[in-house]
Amino acid sequence: MSEKELLKGNIAIAKAALNCGCTCYFGYPITPQTEIGEYLSQKMQEKNLAYVCAESEIAAINMALGAASTGAKVMTSSSSCAVSLMQEAISYACSDELPIVVVNVMRAGPGQGYIFPSQGDYNQATIGGGNGDYHTIVLSPSNVQECIDLTYKAFHLAQKYRNPVILLADGLLGQMAEPAELTENPYPQIDNSSWRLDGANSRPSRNIHSLEPNQTKLNQHIINLYKKYELIEQNECDYEEYLCQDAQVIFVAFGSLSRHVKSVCNHYRKNGIKAGLFRPKSLYPFPYKKLNELSRKTPIFIDVEMNMGQMLKDIRLAILSNAKISFIGKPTGNWLREEEIINAADNIIKEYYASI
Amino acid sequence: MIRNFIISGSGGQGVLSIGTILANIFMLSNKYVSFCPCYGAEMRGGAVNCEINASDTEILSLQNKEVDIVVALNQTSFDKFISKVKKNGTIIVNSSLAKINKTRDDIKYIFAPMTQEATKLGNIKTTNSIALGIISKITDNFSMEKVKKAYEKILKDKTELIQKNLEAYLIGYNYLQERQ
Repeated sequence: MSEKELLKGNIAIAKAALNCGCTCYFGYPITPQTEIGEYLSQKMQEKNLAYVCAESEIAAINMALGAASTGAKVMTSSSSCAVSLMQEAISYACSDELPIVVVNVMRAGPGQGYIFPSQGDYNQATIGGGNGDYHTIVLSPSNVQECIDLTYKAFHLAQKYRNPVILLADGLLGQMAEPAELTENPYPQIDNSSWRLDGANSRPSRNIHSLEPNQTKLNQHIINLYKKYELIEQNECDYEEYLCQDAQVIFVAFGSLSRHVKSVCNHYRKNGIKAGLFRPKSLYPFPYKKLNELSRKTPIFIDVEMNMGQMLKDIRLAILSNAKISFIGKPTGNWLREEEIINAADNIIKEYYASI
Repeated sequence: MIRNFIISGSGGQGVLSIGTILANIFMLSNKYVSFCPCYGAEMRGGAVNCEINASDTEILSLQNKEVDIVVALNQTSFDKFISKVKKNGTIIVNSSLAKINKTRDDIKYIFAPMTQEATKLGNIKTTNSIALGIISKITDNFSMEKVKKAYEKILKDKTELIQKNLEAYLIGYNYLQERQ
């Protein structure tokens, strides 16, 4: 066990990537995630690994696809408006079934936006901005320790399911520092010798491509992908429940903002209102089933996000129709503070009890 | 125990460095701690501040409306962050670069000519360490061993610089006593 170190979220992600065997990094600098590339540019050179500062994000992710097809453990990182540039390649990577880790340290959008932190890429990450039938696994850390833990998990799931995984952090988490421990990577190595392109020698040749002019084969390929997604949805839902079991009101929040919401729950508990927090750690697969269970007992759900309510549709799909659902949020800037959330939530709770 | 701080100044004054050292001291004392920086695109001269929260329990509030202690290393940050001090909180002002002026009567003011003292010591870059000494005096009396260890984490093997900063730290630490 290594001792705790004061780490920035970005550095924690970079360290964890190296620690679990990332051999290739391709990226292009953009605030607020530049420290990831900065750190790796030095460390990967020292360890004789592949670090490329590409000419653009489009180049970076396509390099990542190329490297991943050889079986290398690959990561790229970027932020919002530049992750948009990667969407075409992410769709290709899903069809090609290539294990790549894409880190998105979110800033404000749409378009160029600015470097203020935000959670505005929920839709882009969970629904996907590329073409065709595909899903990417999306993991959302809420503190620096989870930046490490979920980076390990991202690499593992990418290899396990041969699918891109997006680590969806935010600008505040990327820049802030907390004590964290660079634990050992808990996941086993996954053998990729059955599909990687490493030179045929005497075995039959392989190729990886998404072009498929045979209709029957293309249909079957996509159906197979969806069988895989079904497995992912069954096995990989990850979430944190905080005081949800007896809750009269459940807040739903993800990422670092969920910490403010947890503090709001503590405030309500102290004042005799049973509040709880449900925090999805995997945004795809979204933990519909668990949230649905909770809605059998809890009548009010409040979604809190640093965007205009992108997760609402998933919560609506999850909870029973007789539960009330409300939204508190703003698009960007300083995270909603506890008192701002409490002021808004007070009204929602009051309204609900006045209506029944 | 919950303590929160804002350290503010201009780029180049060591605002983020001293914030990191403060956060490290709390970490070495087995506290939960968070450090959130806020700065513009400039490397030097732009406004910069950071917020540090320390607690015996998990840190949930990363950005507070008001904090216990504000350090303002220049006039701009004094003007900007005076409103962020909690009632009965303290603002520590570098009076070498900010005018002595008390606009609130519900907080404590500490004025110290930090830049001047650091210059006297022979290294203007230790201004921030004088502020850290004052913080230590009015809050937890950090142990010298932990302070030294925290500096070593940041400044690594620059032993001379560490020594200078520790001297500056002690000037800050003793500053209030000598004035009483």
